[in-house]
Amino acid sequence: MEALDIGIWVTCFLLVMVILGMRVAFAAGLAGIVGLIAIFWARKDFAGDEFGWALSVAVGTAGQVPHAKVASQALSLIPTFILIGYMAYYAGLTKALFEAAKRWIAWVPGGLAVSTVFATAGFAAVSGASVATSAVFARIAIPEMLAIGYNKRFAAGVVAAAGTLASLIPPSAILVIYAIIVEQDVGMLLLAGFVPGAFSAIVYGLIIVGLAMTIKNFGPAVGGFTWRERFSALLPALPIVAVVVIILFFVYNPIPGEVAIGGSVIDIPFGGDSWGTPTEGGAIGAFIVFLMALYRGMRWSEFRDALVETAKLSVMIFTIIWGVLIYVRFLGFADLPGAFADWITSLTMSPMLILICILLAYAVLGMFMDAIGMLLLTLPVVFPAVMALNGGLDVSAADSTFGMSGPMCAIWFGILVVKMAEFCLITPPIGLNCFVVAGVRDDLSVQDVFRGVMPFFIADALTIAGLVAFPAIVLWLPSQV
Amino acid sequence: TEWSVSLWGQRRAFTEHVERLAELVSERTNGEFTLNISYGGLSSNRENLDGISIGAFEMAQFCAGYHADKNPSITVLELPFLGVTSLEQESDLSMALYQHPAVVADLARWNATLLMPSPLPQYNLVGVGDAPATLADFDGLTVRATGGIGAAMETVGAVPTSMSATEVRQAMDSGVVRAVSFAPHAHMSFGTIENATWWTTNLNPGTVNCPVVVNSDALVDLSDEHREVLLGAVDEALDHYLSFYEEQTMAAWGPALEERGIAQVSFGDAELSAFRAAAADPAATAWIQQNTARGLPAQELYDFVTGLIAESN
Amino acid sequence: MAAGSLVLSDDSIVSRIDRSLLRVEYAMILVGGLTVFGLMLLAVFSVGGRNFLNAPLPGYVDWIEQLMPVIAVFGVSYVRREGGHIRMDIVVGALKGRALWLAELATTLAILLVAMLLLWGSWEHFLRSFDISQPMWSRDSSMDIGLPIWPAKLVVPVALGVLVVRLCLQLWAYSLAFKHNQARPVAVPLLADVATQAAMEAKQVSSREQEEAN
Ligand code: NA
Ligand code: NA
Repeated sequence: MEALDIGIWVTCFLLVMVILGMRVAFAAGLAGIVGLIAIFWARKDFAGDEFGWALSVAVGTAGQVPHAKVASQALSLIPTFILIGYMAYYAGLTKALFEAAKRWIAWVPGGLAVSTVFATAGFAAVSGASVATSAVFARIAIPEMLAIGYNKRFAAGVVAAAGTLASLIPPSAILVIYAIIVEQDVGMLLLAGFVPGAFSAIVYGLIIVGLAMTIKNFGPAVGGFTWRERFSALLPALPIVAVVVIILFFVYNPIPGEVAIGGSVIDIPFGGDSWGTPTEGGAIGAFIVFLMALYRGMRWSEFRDALVETAKLSVMIFTIIWGVLIYVRFLGFADLPGAFADWITSLTMSPMLILICILLAYAVLGMFMDAIGMLLLTLPVVFPAVMALNGGLDVSAADSTFGMSGPMCAIWFGILVVKMAEFCLITPPIGLNCFVVAGVRDDLSVQDVFRGVMPFFIADALTIAGLVAFPAIVLWLPSQV
Repeated sequence: TEWSVSLWGQRRAFTEHVERLAELVSERTNGEFTLNISYGGLSSNRENLDGISIGAFEMAQFCAGYHADKNPSITVLELPFLGVTSLEQESDLSMALYQHPAVVADLARWNATLLMPSPLPQYNLVGVGDAPATLADFDGLTVRATGGIGAAMETVGAVPTSMSATEVRQAMDSGVVRAVSFAPHAHMSFGTIENATWWTTNLNPGTVNCPVVVNSDALVDLSDEHREVLLGAVDEALDHYLSFYEEQTMAAWGPALEERGIAQVSFGDAELSAFRAAAADPAATAWIQQNTARGLPAQELYDFVTGLIAESN
Repeated sequence: MAAGSLVLSDDSIVSRIDRSLLRVEYAMILVGGLTVFGLMLLAVFSVGGRNFLNAPLPGYVDWIEQLMPVIAVFGVSYVRREGGHIRMDIVVGALKGRALWLAELATTLAILLVAMLLLWGSWEHFLRSFDISQPMWSRDSSMDIGLPIWPAKLVVPVALGVLVVRLCLQLWAYSLAFKHNQARPVAVPLLADVATQAAMEAKQVSSREQEEAN
């Protein structure tokens, strides 16, 4: 049996285990170990007395992965980003944001729903996880929408959809995971998520305004706030802006260090040097939010709960990471990614069509799978293929298929894939965000939320089409750095 | 026979000798003995010795400084200011040290046999801002330099910071560090020269030692003919590496600096000897002391290396 | 906003052992959480030291690499106890009674196999970095400031060891459930459908909201 055959068999074995309901992390680990045993045993022509050797080498190889792959500076962003979200909740930032958004933009048609979208987008700037974001806003935003006559299904749908913004707008745990798997610059990817996240929010907003103008009794605009009320609502929400700005200064400091005015060079205080790396920026953001939560009177028991919840979510994510990386280690020995890339590039379809097929495949897969597990399982094989399709990792923009350099293509594809993964959080049958929103409200069934979220399928389809057709939406910001 | 070879990153000047070795071995055995090279698929770069030790693959490359305690004996070649002046000298020196019984025993703990070095030039600094004219200008300079080079920079008042190579470019552009210590090929591939303003031509603070090793059992298990082919091709592979590094990398290096208007800073002999006096001897003393405690004949290894350098200069 | 525990308890031996083990596991996950907090403080010191004192924390990256396994792996058994590791429950979700317990027995057994193999492999990985005859018992050190790596590598087999105990306990509990055809067995996470789970998460959020209001 060739290494490649083993690779295909073991991959099928893994899929069966996952479908039968084995925990994804351990299914991947088992598939990896079984595959490694087969690979090493095959080297000895499957001689009966060599099985013990193959087993010990396979186990030795797999046993390195949990420590070796996890002890990484870049991955330390994930627990930090999760911690920020929990701390922000205790710091009371969610309510403040919603109130401010309401007073400023609720006067447009469908105003309260639009406000919900933008308040969520604001919270996304401190929260790294989508599901947590939806859970928080379902509690705050839905009652207010219902009170002024919104359809309850639609109100729930808005919250479920808007929660997905948390994974595009930095900080984002899932963007970090993508960057790690494909070995690209985390800072650039986080930066790249910003404009598509804002773009998604605007598309959501426009869809709502459009619905509000066509459907009767949709839900009234909410006006009548005085400017005084508006400005006073900004104050409690200001910490979010402060955190975002400070993170930005830590990572990218957009202010030049000096300017020339009339022939003399003037130093700008705080200009020029940024104050840190993405890793440090995330940690400083968490620290600031922590101080705010302390100021708001967070107690030890709350702090302990926040830490345990952070650790729990981190362990869950990291177990999938190392489990899947054991499987990926086996794939490396079987050289499956190389073979798949060769196959993709040998297809006679147009490269753009292939890319669209890949994205559609993610949409289907995402109906049944968790976003992180899906990316980790597929990217080691799919990413090299997409890079090969564009002409390789080192290709220049001029020689490439999609008109962008290798690293830029990696960023573009990353944002597309993450947007797909987020889309899957609101599609039936396993749209986790919808389940969470339904869970918050006793009067809403999961089916209600799925029905209410449907307009946002169209919004997401438009967004993804926009990102595919106009890569500049993704690439403009990172190309400025 | 098919051997798996664990490298990392992608094909570059740093891996040309392994690529050439694979070609030569396959040619000379009519394809009966092949080296199957994988870039990062088989192991992480810091786990390559572990993989060799358990027999997951037969050949691998690593750098001594990644994990000094795994291979203390060869870190002697990473001491600052040894005075190595050329790649060829670095190569010969490494090959000689790799035969030393204490070094052989050290690597035997990993079931590994040292095959050949991947000689790298001195890790001179690329930096932004005002170019340092004298050693005094290094005072307070933030620099990305790890291990022995970082310690050496500290002796003249610089502030060494550690970060992974992939974060270096951004750290430099954003001003987290003002200077970076790399070999020229890494300065080019990690993009540190893109916004830099100066380069030190002759600071020569030291380099890293990155050997290629083979699994000792696998080497013994080879047929006599194949083993002879493999070991016999090492010199030719190394020659190819050296000429590739000179002709491709170093040839691109000068123009790359000029294109970007990067000032080339050279220091006078007096400055350099002052630096050496401040950094080299304390580092060597510390190294000898620490490694004697590990049970290595550290003084002997240090004298062996410095003796060879003195001989050839 | 993870769900509250879905594990029932009573006075049986299996449940008492479950709760004793839980105390150990909770301590381990709390250590993980405190380590996340420590990681944050580490960055604050590093940034502060560099920007205000021109003295960055020596070996900042080395320290992060030491701490990450504690965050990522140490609490693995706690998450297993709470049923927190992700899976697809389209098939299992449709099962009931003995068929369900049989399926859970099978996957738990498979996970036990993975855990034991990795316990073996990670223990050997630890042993390769550990040498009692060397200074600081170290045979593998970090890149920048030469910290011994064996403590960080030891985290993995310790965490997996506790996980193996947990999995054995769950095997026992699931076989009891299968034998007596129990509807709601103790000491194992009950299969809440995703909706119930979300409801619990929501309750958790609401209770915090209420606390805040008071
Ligand atoms: Na976010
Ligand atoms: Na879905």
